[in-house]
Amino acid sequence: MLEIKNVRYLYPDGTRALEDISINFPREHILALLGRSGSGKTTLLKCIGRFLKVERGKILLGGRSVYDLSEIDLRRSIGIVFQDLYLFPHLRVIDNMTLAPRLVMGEDSKQAKDTAMVTLKKLGIDDIWDKYPSQISGGQAQRVAIARALVLRPKYLLLDEPTSALDVDTTDEFGRWLVRLKEETTFIIVSHDVLFCEKTATSGALIEEGRIVSRGSIDNILKKTKR
Amino acid sequence: MKAKKVNLFFKIVLIFTGFLALWNTCLYAGKSQKLRVALTGKFPPFSFYSGKGRLIGFDVDVSKAIARKLNRDLEIVTTEWDGILAGLLAGKYDAIIGSMAKTPQREEVVNFSIPYYISGAQLFIHEDNKDEIENIDALRGKRIGVGLGETYEHYLRKNYPDIQVVTYKSTVDIFQDMLNGRIDGFVTDKLVGLYQIEKGRMPFVTAGKLLYEESIAIPVVQERPQLLKKINKALAEMKRKGELAAIYKKWFEEKGKDFETAAGIETKIIVKKLGKGFAITLLVAFSALLMGFVLAIPSAVILNNKAFFIYYPLRSFNDFIRGTPLLIQLFFVYFGAPQVGVMLTPIQAAILTLTVNSSAYMSEVIRSGLMSVDCGQILAAKALGLSRLQSFRYIIWPQAFRIALPPLMNSVVALMKDTALIAVISVGEVIREAQSIISVTYNPMKYYFIVAVMFFIFTFPLMKLAGRIEKKIKEKGFANA
Repeated sequence: MLEIKNVRYLYPDGTRALEDISINFPREHILALLGRSGSGKTTLLKCIGRFLKVERGKILLGGRSVYDLSEIDLRRSIGIVFQDLYLFPHLRVIDNMTLAPRLVMGEDSKQAKDTAMVTLKKLGIDDIWDKYPSQISGGQAQRVAIARALVLRPKYLLLDEPTSALDVDTTDEFGRWLVRLKEETTFIIVSHDVLFCEKTATSGALIEEGRIVSRGSIDNILKKTKR
Repeated sequence: MKAKKVNLFFKIVLIFTGFLALWNTCLYAGKSQKLRVALTGKFPPFSFYSGKGRLIGFDVDVSKAIARKLNRDLEIVTTEWDGILAGLLAGKYDAIIGSMAKTPQREEVVNFSIPYYISGAQLFIHEDNKDEIENIDALRGKRIGVGLGETYEHYLRKNYPDIQVVTYKSTVDIFQDMLNGRIDGFVTDKLVGLYQIEKGRMPFVTAGKLLYEESIAIPVVQERPQLLKKINKALAEMKRKGELAAIYKKWFEEKGKDFETAAGIETKIIVKKLGKGFAITLLVAFSALLMGFVLAIPSAVILNNKAFFIYYPLRSFNDFIRGTPLLIQLFFVYFGAPQVGVMLTPIQAAILTLTVNSSAYMSEVIRSGLMSVDCGQILAAKALGLSRLQSFRYIIWPQAFRIALPPLMNSVVALMKDTALIAVISVGEVIREAQSIISVTYNPMKYYFIVAVMFFIFTFPLMKLAGRIEKKIKEKGFANA
């Protein structure tokens, strides 16, 4: 269980980004953090992923503060896919995916490659394993980025605006992948794409000006905000 | 894949240690009781290379005789005239026996022996003009050539201020410009001029009487009066016994005709000299490149991160190196190092200077490569659990390197060509070898062209390779990533 308690975060210039955020993320769910751009949802994601240090409050994973975890333990528990994906352009898809398992988890080359191929197949893109990132489409790149995070088998995977580069059909298909994968990995999605969240997420929270203003099922949230 | 990389790493280490070993063999073999004498090796008939590739000449014979009298082994260092006094002051050799005239200016910094011959300054002109030009007064307002750093330049400027004095690196260059009509005459030692005109079959003749005479003597640093005393004693004895006169006769009356000079220079020797020179050029260039590159990587990281306290000194140092002439850096390292107690051989000094110089340029190129890698790449690597070192090694460096490679190749080509400058600190690289061949063959165009081709054979594939890598990177689509 991932718990966030009374978190506050200030931007370096002192303006408030997050205030008194408390939320729990139970396993086997797809949770959506909704809100306009600038509302603080990506900042929250970066706090959870320990890319930013909170000013006040706690982020607990299985009861332990994420700041107390070793780098490796943290990265194996919580994965993150940024909005810009940041695939490694000099590495083929397969090498993008096997790098961390080999270097961080100490898997051998063959083992890492097998896992990567299985994951690619699950996402329906095993035919592009030997392509470079510049040679694949935006939708494929999105799935490669997620696959690259999934091979580390994180308990939680944070996705920042995962559908921004996808068209309607691919977005739907992508949503179905997530639903299928949620048994193994809990997804926390930051998005302003309400339609996608409505179809995919099991519950969520709405953030406005750094505060959670509403939570529960996506339907509920949407009703409260009058769309 | 991993094994392959480890293998490559070891190869690099092996090559590196190989260079270090070579470096050590370049060291002077201890400080023996040798008499180290400097001359240019490009000044026939005083010092030059014979058709068989041996260093010969009047000054060489005098050096040998003096060493014999001093009961020391002789070691001759050939170096450029420009830097010959600086080398003496820096303790690179014990004396210069290279036809140096004794002048008040020079006497301020060194002590001269008693003269070993008297030289006469003579004006030479083209034989077509011999009816119009009787003596130097006819050349007022005209252009006259002299060797750079020779006493004639000072004399002409002082006594004939309306004559335009043009300085040249060697007599061969003066001859070329006489033939091209760029100068109307030249002043040099009468004996040297006549000898070289005859050997080069040049259409030049003397005009007027000797301008003045000067004493040619042997300079020694002021701190070694004992050595000077011994040299003076040796010279006096040579004069008394007629040994000096015999050497003089051999070179100026018999014109050294029996001494391998008549036939010019054998092709075999030319190939050997140029080959050896080019080998040294390549050794210096590649050692400097390899070490410069290894140094450039951490420098670039420091420059890019600005985080460490060494950033500012390094930044200033890099700017200084890139903003000052390599030639002066070479002088500083070669002549300055002995003053702080570090004795460097010419090749060591050349490699050291070029390493520092190329490292300064390459670190800037690599830094701009590092800068152009999206900082999101570091975030992504961190999100996957890679350590900082792993993220540099596997994510940042490969991308930065691919971006930096084409401009790095340009640095390589530029450095290859910069090695031409190291002749000034008496490294026998290929251009210096070519000049010494030219000093006896009088055919600069031919030999400079051969050297240019040798360079091009090496630099052309490098430039092609750079082009191909650039194209490949563009195809993979992250040239501007």
